[in-house]
Amino acid sequence: MSHTIDYKELCSIFPSGYFCSQPDGTIIDVNQKFLELISYTREEVVYKKKFTDLLSKGGEIYFETVYSSILKLSGKVEEINFDFIKKNGTKIPVLINSVEVKDIEGHHVLTYTSVFNISQRKRYEQELLIAKRKAKNLSDDLMQANKVLISNSELIIKQKLQLELNNHLEHKNRQLSSFAHIASHNLRAPVSNLISLNDFYNESSDLEDKAMLFTKIEIVIGHLNETLNELIDSVKIQEDINITHEPTLFKTVFNKTLEILEVQLLDSKALVTSNFSEAPKIEYPKLYLESIMLNLLSNSIRYRSLDRIPKIHFYTEINSNEITLIATDNGLGINLKKHGHRLFGLGNTFHRHPDSKGVGLYMIKTQIDVLGGCIAVESEVDKGTTFKIILKKVSDDK
Amino acid sequence: MLKTILARNYINIHGDGSKVILFVHGYGCDQHMWRFITPYFKDDYKIVLIDLVGSGKSDEKAYDFDKYGSLEGYADDILEICEVLDLKDVIFVGHSVSAIIGLLTALKRPSLFKKLIMIGPSPRYINDDEYFGGFSQEDIDELLETLDANFLGWSSAMAPVIMGNADRPELAEELEHSFCQNNPEIARHFAKVTFLGDNRSDLDKLRTETLIIQSKSDAIASLKIGQYVHAHIAESKLVVLDSTGHCPHLSAPDQTIEAMKHYLK
Repeated sequence: MSHTIDYKELCSIFPSGYFCSQPDGTIIDVNQKFLELISYTREEVVYKKKFTDLLSKGGEIYFETVYSSILKLSGKVEEINFDFIKKNGTKIPVLINSVEVKDIEGHHVLTYTSVFNISQRKRYEQELLIAKRKAKNLSDDLMQANKVLISNSELIIKQKLQLELNNHLEHKNRQLSSFAHIASHNLRAPVSNLISLNDFYNESSDLEDKAMLFTKIEIVIGHLNETLNELIDSVKIQEDINITHEPTLFKTVFNKTLEILEVQLLDSKALVTSNFSEAPKIEYPKLYLESIMLNLLSNSIRYRSLDRIPKIHFYTEINSNEITLIATDNGLGINLKKHGHRLFGLGNTFHRHPDSKGVGLYMIKTQIDVLGGCIAVESEVDKGTTFKIILKKVSDDK
Repeated sequence: MLKTILARNYINIHGDGSKVILFVHGYGCDQHMWRFITPYFKDDYKIVLIDLVGSGKSDEKAYDFDKYGSLEGYADDILEICEVLDLKDVIFVGHSVSAIIGLLTALKRPSLFKKLIMIGPSPRYINDDEYFGGFSQEDIDELLETLDANFLGWSSAMAPVIMGNADRPELAEELEHSFCQNNPEIARHFAKVTFLGDNRSDLDKLRTETLIIQSKSDAIASLKIGQYVHAHIAESKLVVLDSTGHCPHLSAPDQTIEAMKHYLK
């Protein structure tokens, strides 16, 4: 069964709007749906209105600059969104497709346009558009905030560096202040001694006296030189942070120390023993270990008790993450209640001993601190002293 | 330099003549809009077609919102193009906003253009006291709304195609067969620069011989505005075509060609 389609009727009842216009935009035919959309009667539109009469002025600019150009260039235009102005002045959003109809010679004679009401989805589109714009603003804001954060974090890093530099400078300052302190105290005595000796030397006319005085001057100069060198060394340690760690045998360093202090050991008749079997070696700057052992041993000899045979014992211990060097003696001991808090300060002495310069322990502590270790002391007056030096801590907690 | 500028403005040159004719499209379209006109000039002229930066197949990356925040930016581009291509005694044909861009270029270098042909020029779209521009600020806002509404159909998938680095040939083909597809953000900016500008005072300074081609009925640049432009350019002629619309070179190409040929004789 075939059914004849009445195209005119189809056009009229077609579920989307349709109109036909001349090249100048004059509307010459419309269907019912289109009239319903714009709320005009057929008589009010056909040959009375142009396409652009249904547009706002802004829409007209778009019509002239974009819609018409595309239609002329490609013969059709699709999915253009206009707002049509209804008879009562309200707007209705529509989507239109247009196609150019040409005569045999290729001249544009008519334009067919189909019109779809998109009021429903337009609301959703508007929401999308607003959301999209909001999202863009938000992302712009975020990008701005991010920029600020980045520049802030740069500032914080700079401040941190500045703080580190300040701390370093403060530390240097304290060191210099200590240096000045010990210089003023420990150098004053020998210098005034030198001045007195010099006065005697100048006043004396006896050649033998002069020779004797000169020998004394030489001795004092020797002490001065030694004190100065130690002071210089103590400052140098601070600057050697990047010293190399090498595998070092405790025994080797200890033997060298014994050789250096041979004369003193003989004089003191001290009994020196050692046992490094528990931890025979360590990755440590050799120079520092030498310095530490030298200072500890010479301290033990210097502050020995004259009432008994000096006994000095050096040994090592190891536990899970650290190696400890222990030096113990039966010497004079230190009153820790009285002196404990300034035991390792520069220029502090705890004995009325002619060789006390207050440098040794300060140097040791500095050397150990630099490498992240720590030093502890146990002592009892007239019983002896034990120094425990944790040389290497694998974990960071101190 | 030459290569950069050729790509930047998607410059196409053809024609067998020695005289130079430079066509510049207006707002909303690209160099395709001259396709009905150029065939009639190719025997006697070297035809130079360009896309303004931000339009057509120009290099979108070159769109600098500051530079193109005023029409001067485009005028500088025209100067640059003429320099690198060594164009002299140029016939400049500018539609709509490009008529004004041509005007600004001619003011920057009066010797560059032999003649200026303005199609549907308007020095100012917004009404101002006694001056009739045809539009109010609200109308332009409505235009921007219409632009926004139609950007939804402008898939961001097109961006890489226009940038020339898409590996989706079906999109490239779609673009090839579509005209006047421009990046929404740029189109919006260009619309503001075009329709909110005011170049009335520049008209009086122009000394270049100028032809104004005007549609009898043009909703964008009305006859009244064409007459205003004619009155303010010293060496100008006004030809009113029996045509409708802002693009007579599309809607009435024969009349447009006739007016141009007659003027250039």
